[in-house]
Amino acid sequence: MSRSWWGKFLLLLCAIVGAFIYIFPTIANLDLEKTNFPFKRKINLGLDLQGGLYMVLGVDFNKVYRDVLERQTSSLKDRLHEKGIEITGIKAVPNPLSADDPRYSFSFDQSKRQDIYQMIKKEYWTMRLAGENEGSFEVALSQDYRKQVRERTLNQSIEVIRNRIDEFGVSEPAIASQGTDRVVVELPGVREIDRAKDLIGRTAKLEFKMVDDKSMSPAQLAALIAEIEKKHGITFKEGQKFSEYVRLLNEKGREKIPEGDEIAFQRPKLSDETGEMGRIPYLLKSKTEVTGDDLQDASVQFDPESRRPSVGFTLNPRGATLFDRLTGESVGKRLAIVLDNIVHSAPVIQGRIPGGHGQITLGRGDSEAMMKEASDLALVLRAGALPAQLEFLEQRVVGPSLGQDSIKKGAMASLVGSLAVFLFVTVYYQVSGLIAVFSLVLNVMFVLACLVGLEATLTLPGIAGIALTVGIAVDSNVVIYERIREELRHGKGPVVAVESGFQKAFRTILDANVTNAAAAVVLLTYGTGPIKGFAVSLLIGIVTTLFTAVFVCRLIFDIYLKYLENRTSRAISI
Amino acid sequence: MLELIKPGTNINFVGKRHIWIGISIVAIIATFILFIVKGLNYGIDFTGGAEIQVHIPQNWDIGKLRDELESGGLKGVKVQQIGLPTASQFLIKAQGDEHSLNQVSKKVDAILLKDLKHGDFEIQRVDVVGPAAGSSLRMSGFLSMFYALLCILVYVTIRFDYRYSPGAVMALFHDTVITIGIFILTQKQFDLQILAALLALIGYSNNDTIIVYDRVRETMHQHPELNIEQAVNRAVNETLGRTILTSLCTFFTVFALWLLGGKVIEDFAFTLMVGIVVGAYSSIFIASSLVIAISHYHDRRALSLKKAGGGKKAISVRPEPKFE
Repeated sequence: MSRSWWGKFLLLLCAIVGAFIYIFPTIANLDLEKTNFPFKRKINLGLDLQGGLYMVLGVDFNKVYRDVLERQTSSLKDRLHEKGIEITGIKAVPNPLSADDPRYSFSFDQSKRQDIYQMIKKEYWTMRLAGENEGSFEVALSQDYRKQVRERTLNQSIEVIRNRIDEFGVSEPAIASQGTDRVVVELPGVREIDRAKDLIGRTAKLEFKMVDDKSMSPAQLAALIAEIEKKHGITFKEGQKFSEYVRLLNEKGREKIPEGDEIAFQRPKLSDETGEMGRIPYLLKSKTEVTGDDLQDASVQFDPESRRPSVGFTLNPRGATLFDRLTGESVGKRLAIVLDNIVHSAPVIQGRIPGGHGQITLGRGDSEAMMKEASDLALVLRAGALPAQLEFLEQRVVGPSLGQDSIKKGAMASLVGSLAVFLFVTVYYQVSGLIAVFSLVLNVMFVLACLVGLEATLTLPGIAGIALTVGIAVDSNVVIYERIREELRHGKGPVVAVESGFQKAFRTILDANVTNAAAAVVLLTYGTGPIKGFAVSLLIGIVTTLFTAVFVCRLIFDIYLKYLENRTSRAISI
Repeated sequence: MLELIKPGTNINFVGKRHIWIGISIVAIIATFILFIVKGLNYGIDFTGGAEIQVHIPQNWDIGKLRDELESGGLKGVKVQQIGLPTASQFLIKAQGDEHSLNQVSKKVDAILLKDLKHGDFEIQRVDVVGPAAGSSLRMSGFLSMFYALLCILVYVTIRFDYRYSPGAVMALFHDTVITIGIFILTQKQFDLQILAALLALIGYSNNDTIIVYDRVRETMHQHPELNIEQAVNRAVNETLGRTILTSLCTFFTVFALWLLGGKVIEDFAFTLMVGIVVGAYSSIFIASSLVIAISHYHDRRALSLKKAGGGKKAISVRPEPKFE
């Protein structure tokens, strides 16, 4: 018995020292860069304690699916054309059953049906046949390909967001996917919340399209738009999604709009105070000549004369070649620079631009705001376009002062509550109570050390969870002590009483803590953010409680009993 | 030894069990009625919307804040004062579609900046939940409660037997419903945090119940001469001290949190407080009564099966599982 006793004691000592080392940097609030302390890690604070931005973004896959399907259908048309088979009337067809499974239909000569079917089966595993009529097919994306597209889009979105955030300079940002279609972004300590949201949310799709000056005059274009609006009851009110408005115009006005063209708008800011924006319509050729994919670099440039910043960009060799040819063929025509489907500017091409350099000028505003706008634009162009549009599903912002406040109050409350418990337990159980208090203090130490060790996050509910753990841990002690008291009442000696007290109580404590753990696990699975922190604290607390109440407490009792052996009064104070 | 409950105490809990069950049934029905009539005050986690907590200078009162917000273009927002009157903290609640919600905090910032400088006011906290996210959070919230109860049902059945598990689950259900009832009464905001507290309660409250059941089983094992009422009563009396003690201790810690922990955690702590008290009540009075009721039910069934010539033995206490 002696040897195992020493072994256990040593184990406990190591655990205590280890735990202390782990939590020292946090408690002493060491400066991690300058300190000489061997363990350089502090506890991870949740956003509700640090302050910062937490966002859940939904990815709009539907448009991505549509675009991908359109490209596949286009490609099919070209392939069939090579074989001498023509298909016509490619158009999107609404799918009444499910919005995220787009359909395209096309028509053909019924005699060629078999060839077309074979082609799809052989070379286009990406598509599947969703419906058929005499002389026309309805196609959709195959399940496998849809899954692939979705995963690729999700991962790419995360990458782009990560790039943008890296540039923003937030320490320890966290970006991860949630489920199959969401992205969770955590930016601790960020102050400029709106700017961060803008940076992340922008699609930043850059396209160069030619302006169609020939088909209509500006007056005719304006009239056309008014006509489409009236006929289909489309209006635009401030606060609505502008992109939706433009999409509807183009969709409903399809017959009137010249083939191969689309309507787009420029939105100059009319007034700095009200933020009101104008609408200047353009008729653009739908074909995208050069895209942001070919962008090599973008940077802020400052024109000393006009005293206005602008964004200068450089295209990669392929883009530069395209740009060269385009500008060479189109001198005198206008080239629209389209950003996120909105015409940014449409300068006249003065001459060939061989080097692939260009400039995007900004609107008006005060110089500081414009500098910010320029650097943000350069940033998103560099980081790359988002492959899909993001929706802000959930946002939580905690200001820095509230975070600090919460820490102080939460810690204070936990301390006071624990002290009340300690006092009570000591009065009620005397020396044994002191033993219980000691094991409770160790318990909390171990919980904090585990949080640091597992790099888990401490949130405000997490602090509550630790306080709750103290209460629950007392439970285990009380169960044991009441048992011991009972055994003593039945006339057993102190050593035997302690032994059987611990023994009989063990199963009960196990049961009770397992059910606690079950609830905590459910919380862990379904909880997010601060609640997850609560579940983690609770779970760790349960494990450490089992350890301290059963192992540590028992050990200290053994020491206590040994100490009593040499005393005249053998009664344990419980 | 300092003793809260003297050994040998023999309060007749079981005898009056119809009273306890009666009280609880009344409370549960009252809660259901309140739920339909008044309804829970759902937070934005479940309804969707935006909630902005601001701290503004002392000389602005709630009326001025409302006027400024309305003239700034934010129509239909609700403003309420929170915390102590001296704290000058207000909560601005807005509803809308996802697009407009996204802009709300920007707008509030702009409106306040018109009259005040940056240092005079502070946007302390912004929570925005889009309507789609709100309903999915609600769904997963209630699902999680359901799963937790299910797990416990299974666990208690394994560790004890099927006479005990319905009692355990019903006691937990009882605790949850009554705590929610108190929330409806006080119209405090019911959001994800509170749901988390309820889940924690389910786990914690089950503690007490299991400890009582453990004792019941042990008592029946050691004293087979006692019938079930006597055994249960004895078990409850024996564990009374322990149940009250631990509930008291946990109550202390949570009470301190409620009192001193600050606004953000206040309602969370409140939920736990209420739950601990109700949980202690249910473990002592309800869980025990239910075991007896179910045991009687099984006995009656066994008796009628015997009469019908079924020959099935009356259900007795299962032998202890081999954990020792």
